[in-house]
Amino acid sequence: MNETLYTSSEKKTGNVVAICVIALVYVFLFLLDNFLPSNSFTLMLIPVLKKGAIYSLICVSMNLLNGFTGLFSLGQAGFLLIGAYSYAIFAIPADQHSAVYQYFDGGLIQFSIPEALGSVLGTNLGSFLGAIICIIIAGLIAAAFAALIGIPVLRLKSDYLAIATLGFAEIIRAICQWSGLGTITNGSNLLRKYTSFSDIKISFGDTVFKLSTIFPFLIAMVSILLIVLLINSSYGRAFKAIRDDEVAAEAMGINLFKHKMLSFVISSFFAGVGGALLAMYQTTIQASAFKTAMTYEILLIVVIGGIGSVTGSCIASFLYIACNEWWLRFLDSGSVFGLSVPFFRDGFRKVVFSVIIMVVVLFFSRGIMGDKELSFAGMIRRLKRKKKPAKAAEASEGGDGNE
Amino acid sequence: MKKFLALLLALVMIFSLAACGSSSSTDTTADADETEETSAETETEAETETETADSDNPTVTIGVFEPLSGDNGAGGKQETLGMQYANYETPTVEIGGVTYDVELVVVDNESSTDKAVSAASQIVAAGASVVLGSYGSSVSIAGSDTFADAGIPVIGVTCTNPQVTEGNDHYFRICFLDPFQGTVLANFANDELGATVAYCLGQLGNDYDQGLINYFTEAAEALGMTVITESFPEGNSDFTSYLTNAKNAGAEVIFAPCSTSYAQLIIEQAASQGVEIPLLAGDTWDSNVILAAAAGTTQSIYVSTFYAEGGDEAFEEGFKEWINSDSTNLTNNGGNDTIAAVSVMGYDAYYVALEALKNAGSTDPADVMAALPTTTYTGVSGAIAFDEIGDAERDAAYIKVANTETEAWDFVAVQTIG
Repeated sequence: MNETLYTSSEKKTGNVVAICVIALVYVFLFLLDNFLPSNSFTLMLIPVLKKGAIYSLICVSMNLLNGFTGLFSLGQAGFLLIGAYSYAIFAIPADQHSAVYQYFDGGLIQFSIPEALGSVLGTNLGSFLGAIICIIIAGLIAAAFAALIGIPVLRLKSDYLAIATLGFAEIIRAICQWSGLGTITNGSNLLRKYTSFSDIKISFGDTVFKLSTIFPFLIAMVSILLIVLLINSSYGRAFKAIRDDEVAAEAMGINLFKHKMLSFVISSFFAGVGGALLAMYQTTIQASAFKTAMTYEILLIVVIGGIGSVTGSCIASFLYIACNEWWLRFLDSGSVFGLSVPFFRDGFRKVVFSVIIMVVVLFFSRGIMGDKELSFAGMIRRLKRKKKPAKAAEASEGGDGNE
Repeated sequence: MKKFLALLLALVMIFSLAACGSSSSTDTTADADETEETSAETETEAETETETADSDNPTVTIGVFEPLSGDNGAGGKQETLGMQYANYETPTVEIGGVTYDVELVVVDNESSTDKAVSAASQIVAAGASVVLGSYGSSVSIAGSDTFADAGIPVIGVTCTNPQVTEGNDHYFRICFLDPFQGTVLANFANDELGATVAYCLGQLGNDYDQGLINYFTEAAEALGMTVITESFPEGNSDFTSYLTNAKNAGAEVIFAPCSTSYAQLIIEQAASQGVEIPLLAGDTWDSNVILAAAAGTTQSIYVSTFYAEGGDEAFEEGFKEWINSDSTNLTNNGGNDTIAAVSVMGYDAYYVALEALKNAGSTDPADVMAALPTTTYTGVSGAIAFDEIGDAERDAAYIKVANTETEAWDFVAVQTIG
């Protein structure tokens, strides 16, 4: 992988532009949450943005493992499940326990962290901080499971690792559904009524602002930023060395097992965080949704975005979610622009979607971004470069300017 | 790569335009500054109007939140058919002295709780006044909060889990509940089949199976029966060991309220193994798929359901004719014109929604929600009125037995809890 080098001034302007763009995005999200009128466009935009942000984090966490460390793991759904369940279990208000754990006498854990904090700090701040604490707990529990599983599993290579982690995800799901643990996991039934995105608000005096769309963006951005910092650190270089050639990396003095473990545990931590956010987004959680199909979905996004590209994963997440859950839904409805098309009926969306994915995988096998990153510094450089030859061309051809 | 990106962005633009155009035919608040979008919109509006009825009637939208793919796809399609037939039969409604065209917006929730939120948002974005659905309680619960935030009332058609309507004001339901159904089935097993030992088999991770088994066990044990419960993992296709266990335990009835795809396998394997123990199940088994699997065997299969064929001749005749008139409908109904109870419930749900719209006197979801608790309707499946939780007051379930020769359901009894 050839890393592009930028001059310090390019970096500086790049960073300024990046910060401005991010700030603009957050201002837009804030307006979207609180002031913009709800119409058919924003009503669909909000859930798609939320899920897109969550999937970005999940895909980047998978990319850390698959794209940057070269460990082909398929246990993502299992870690998402652990994260989602850990979050939900600690965030169900006490008075809802009897309703949620209807077959298990109200369950074992009888408190809720957001509620407990809410009684001290006030409801809004309590649920905000409580949710963050629960999300971190979810990540830590997922990481702890990863550490345990990593000991035997990370001694395996390539396909065997994939099979072992896939099996682990299935086992976790079966354990969560087992009625013996019903007092904690609610067996086969849904977990619900926990703190969700719509409960995340902030109050200044009497005015209350909703943060339901900003919150997942905030958590996802901080998490992705941490992953990027890790990738650019000396640990990240070690991960890439392991990906490129294990034997050479070991000869260079990199402790293979230690670094693989580190990558696996950190990836699982952020998968757990992603799972917790997914739980908040869905407002209900059921273990049966975390099938291997979910892992494949995430893997697909990573492949479409480009294995080894963080920005690629993010772009692909938003595109995939928007296409799958919004833009391509018209294929099911039976008409386009008012024209009724006979074969546009239920399920046709999935056919078209599979074809698009096949085309991407066959003809753009390196994904949208390959292993490159989208950077504002790079964009600025490209713009500058383009201007010069364009000017030169204009001068020589007399303003023909056919770019 | 740049060309690809440009192409992709162009496609994205086209798709977003199409998506806005097709979903916003009843929307009035869309941004007016995007001229392209609005022109696409007016186009659709004009088209849909000419399509539904050649009139200038305003449109009222009823959302249909149903699984059309995934595990519950077959049942969801049959339920939707009932609504579509009702819409075909009565395409207009008079609200506050104005005749409205009724437009059904069918959105597939893919039987999955993780797709339910965006599917529900799609219905909200289409500007629905009231929503019908869903088949399957877990997706209903998963979509519930989205409808609650938008203030749109929902009429559950065949979601039987008590949690659907519990603790909220916007979810109503026209069918009976799991605790009721479980008790009815336990009573039936004890009284009519004379069973003292019951073997329960459910899918691990399916809240419907496990919930119904839970209530069945409670009721059966109260009647002094012995209940043995086992769960099979998702995707299981070999039920021989479970059936052997049932036989060895001396079970006199097998209660297996699982989804129809597993039901087929259980019936076939029970028949080939010669397990003559009667099979008992809830409303999901009331499907022509089960009849097809049972055909030619000597298995006795009992189900509790919402409706017994022969309840309303005029409705059945019309529905069958409508199903047979269109190959798509026939495919969605599973290839023949047997009337599933869920279709009947879908049909009734549509009329309950119309009744609520009439009572509300406006198409505003808030008015409809206020009007729903007092709405009553006598449908094909019986009288429907809501109690204070929002559940229909139902005190009887129909028990039917599969006739393995004629491939039809034979009526057995009306069972109550009393």
